[in-house]
Amino acid sequence: MRIPRRSRPRGTLASRFAHWLVRGPDARVIMDDLEELFARDVERGMPQWRARVRYLRNLLGSAYSVSRTRWHRPRAPRLSVLDVKLAVRTLLKHPGVTLVGCFALAIGIPVGLAPFHLLSAINGPLPFDEADRIVAIEYLDVRASDSRSPAVHDYEVWRESLTAFEDLAAVRTTVQNLVLAGDRAEVVRGSEITASAFGILRVRPYVGRMLLEADETPGSVPVVVLGHDLWRTRFGADPEIVGTAVRFGATERTVVGVMPPGFMFPIRDNFWVPLAARAMDYEWRSGPAVKVFGRLRDGVRTDAAQAEVAAVTARTAADHPETDAHLRAEVRPITHVLTGLRADYRTAAPMYAMTLLLLAVTCGNVGTLVLARVASRSEEIAVRSALGASRSHIVMQQFVETLLLAGAAAAIGLGLAQVALRWFDPFLASAPFWFDLGVRPYTIAVAACLAVFSATIAGAVPALKATRRNVYGDLRRAGGSGAALRFGGVTTLLIIAEVAVAVACLSGAVTVAGSAFSEFSVGDDIAADEYLAARIRLPAVGPTDEAAAATADAFSERFGALQEEVSRRLSAEPGVRAVAFATVLPGMDHPVRWIEVEGVHGATSGGVDGHRIRTTRVDVTFFDALEQPMLAGRGFDASDLSAETGGILVNRAFVERVLGGLNPIGRRVRYVQRSDTLASPWLEIVGLVDDLGMNPVDPARGAGIYHPLPPGEAHPVHILVRTGGPPIDFIPRLREILTAVEPALLLDNPSRLDDVFSELRWEARFGGFAFTLVAAIAIVLSAAGLYALMAFTVSQRTREIGVRTALGARPVQIAGVVARRAALQLVAGVVAGAALGAVLVPEMLNDSILATNWPAKVAAIATLMVLIGLLACAGPTLRALAIQPGEALRDGG
Amino acid sequence: METLGNFEQLLLFSVLRLGEEAHGVAIREMLEERAGRVASSGAIYTTLSRLEERALVASWMGEPTPGRAGRPRRHYRLEPAGARALMESYRTLEAIAGGQIGKLSELAAGK
Repeated sequence: MRIPRRSRPRGTLASRFAHWLVRGPDARVIMDDLEELFARDVERGMPQWRARVRYLRNLLGSAYSVSRTRWHRPRAPRLSVLDVKLAVRTLLKHPGVTLVGCFALAIGIPVGLAPFHLLSAINGPLPFDEADRIVAIEYLDVRASDSRSPAVHDYEVWRESLTAFEDLAAVRTTVQNLVLAGDRAEVVRGSEITASAFGILRVRPYVGRMLLEADETPGSVPVVVLGHDLWRTRFGADPEIVGTAVRFGATERTVVGVMPPGFMFPIRDNFWVPLAARAMDYEWRSGPAVKVFGRLRDGVRTDAAQAEVAAVTARTAADHPETDAHLRAEVRPITHVLTGLRADYRTAAPMYAMTLLLLAVTCGNVGTLVLARVASRSEEIAVRSALGASRSHIVMQQFVETLLLAGAAAAIGLGLAQVALRWFDPFLASAPFWFDLGVRPYTIAVAACLAVFSATIAGAVPALKATRRNVYGDLRRAGGSGAALRFGGVTTLLIIAEVAVAVACLSGAVTVAGSAFSEFSVGDDIAADEYLAARIRLPAVGPTDEAAAATADAFSERFGALQEEVSRRLSAEPGVRAVAFATVLPGMDHPVRWIEVEGVHGATSGGVDGHRIRTTRVDVTFFDALEQPMLAGRGFDASDLSAETGGILVNRAFVERVLGGLNPIGRRVRYVQRSDTLASPWLEIVGLVDDLGMNPVDPARGAGIYHPLPPGEAHPVHILVRTGGPPIDFIPRLREILTAVEPALLLDNPSRLDDVFSELRWEARFGGFAFTLVAAIAIVLSAAGLYALMAFTVSQRTREIGVRTALGARPVQIAGVVARRAALQLVAGVVAGAALGAVLVPEMLNDSILATNWPAKVAAIATLMVLIGLLACAGPTLRALAIQPGEALRDGG
Repeated sequence: METLGNFEQLLLFSVLRLGEEAHGVAIREMLEERAGRVASSGAIYTTLSRLEERALVASWMGEPTPGRAGRPRRHYRLEPAGARALMESYRTLEAIAGGQIGKLSELAAGK
């Protein structure tokens, strides 16, 4: 029966839409039924419009029913033990891809995990009862867009006014000399803290008592509570310690208690003394900065506390607009305030995004290898499909396979990371006491999520691509294995990007690490192993010292007097041959400045026209102490200390690089200012010395200027002592002398002079290691990607190669056909990487003394990468050349 | 023993009644005329497809039909398992509802 044309429902657009909705095996049958029903309705005399309405209703109803069923929604494939066994067998059967993928993911997953783990470690929680109820109050300076610690005034006002908190406390860090028996002094870190802190933290002492409010009263006996470690290691865990007198700096304190093991609040503190600062001793908004924290009352939420804090500070800002108008008090997590790290997820989002992107790129490259492997298994997949395996099942299987790989890689990566963390032990020693970088359940959970993420990108996505549409039918028509699959633009870009990253990172690695393993020298003529180097500083303690510190001249005078006394006592010490002071010692990283030389034109960089040099300030005995004669002119004398425009000394590298070999004596230089309003005075060069470690890696690049340093003008200041015996043995005596001069004087980082650049060397080695690691992954992945691309190309074009060979093509021509695409990607990647390296390496190293000879290194690395790439392509190319025409044509590829 | 939903029972009875002519259009019309139930073609086919997965019915494509631009219809027949399931449902209903029609009528009339 032919349905009259006019009877055909006019809603064909709706039909097409509904046809899409009802897509599935019976879509055609449903649509035919609908049309037949429409026709019957019309034949029975139903008005057309009504028949159309019935048609459309039936259409939409059908679409709705179908959409709710499993007709077009694939059933979630069920996983069986066999699938897992097959996955394991496949991984073992392709050891190359498995190892490469495992290696890449074993690095990539921990890298992706790092921000989550670090953030979690920073955020605690603190090991105290209901620690989530303990918060801190800090200012946001809206003018400077920065945080600012409250002052003592704020603490007292808040403690009196705020009702949202059970109590508030204030704490500030202090570093003092602990003077032990025999006047042995050592630097220990502790806190000035209010007694209320212990109640807020809900801690009990291990021995004796904690601080009381009475201890904060002016005139009360100075007391101290010791940390458990300090009590154990320095006082032999003396059970009678309570009541004994201990000297901290210039103050003798009575020990009143010992805290339990593990208590090192707020960071890594070993003793606690009452907070000496009181608001009445200072003007408003002056005085020492403190950290204020408190415990929220039961039932009070953070936002309610925030509202109250804002109201109170608004009142104080109204009373003191000139100092407080731009300050906004905020209630923040205490861990953020104590560490100074805004470790919230929003702030860390860019870091998360970057590391996840790195992981995604790594997975993308692993996915390239998986894609090639899936393509090579297309016959197997076709058979499995014919036997009933759905596309989703095949994709699920590939996902499981990659998940096993990613899971193993994550476990290996976490294990390696735990081992690598030992490298950071020296830094973790000063990390907050609640910091736990060990593997926790949270870490494992995040690693598992990242493994799933990796398996999706590296496994499921390539499998979806490889099994899309009717690839299997295409396979038969194309007559070649995997012929329907293509390595598309994304894969090409991934390989190029990977090669570029490899070249750039390896260039950086070689530049930085090469410096780390080269000889660092402070100067050929300096017996650096006979000098002791250290830093001296005078912490301000108490309102009197702080008032003095507030006046720079008074402090400078006091510190200068101490410096001279130390120098006098050391010079009188038997065995001490020389003493000198400087802001930066040979071998350290000297600050960089720009200068202009009268009559000599300099280079332009960053808009600054001048010469880039390094600088330091040294006292008049410095060069004598190092036994360095003047090569020309004269050294510093007393007249240089007091003159407003004193003379300066330059080194040999300055003469070579800045003056081009001209005589420096009598020439004038001045510092270049970016603003015209601040013209610095001209300084006359009065003497020339040898190169003395301004650039310990490459002395010829260490052009530098020496300024005279009057006593007390630099704080802190470095001291150099030449001893008759091993310098390290003199450290205790040096501490004694310093303590005798002023008990509060602190001695930091004492070491041999030839060891002062150990931090620089560590930086270089760590930087080199990090670069090398990333470069290694990039090299392996790019080589593997190139290999996979080539192997895939050869298998895809076997028949074509056979035909070409049969027609007389030469081996070079065959190799060219096969390797052309890979070669283009390799060259593009190397060029991009070299350009990236040429821009990034000097930019990152900038003024660092480690940026030595990097252009040659970049070129060498680029060449190396080309060789690696060619090596990766060699295997498949040789296989292509070995193809026999007869076999190729017979097998059909 | 398979349990059947109400709509499934209606469909199976329709298939039973229609015999060789049990196809989508006819089943829909049977439901509408005899059971007063208007169901979309999609609902009918999805339910029959589920029943077919449970081996209660079987389907086959018939001869090309002129009225459907030459395309065939999908026909259904009741399988033994489906017959048994339907019989069980019917007997269960009969057992619980038997003799209650009079009472039901009075209740429905509001007495």
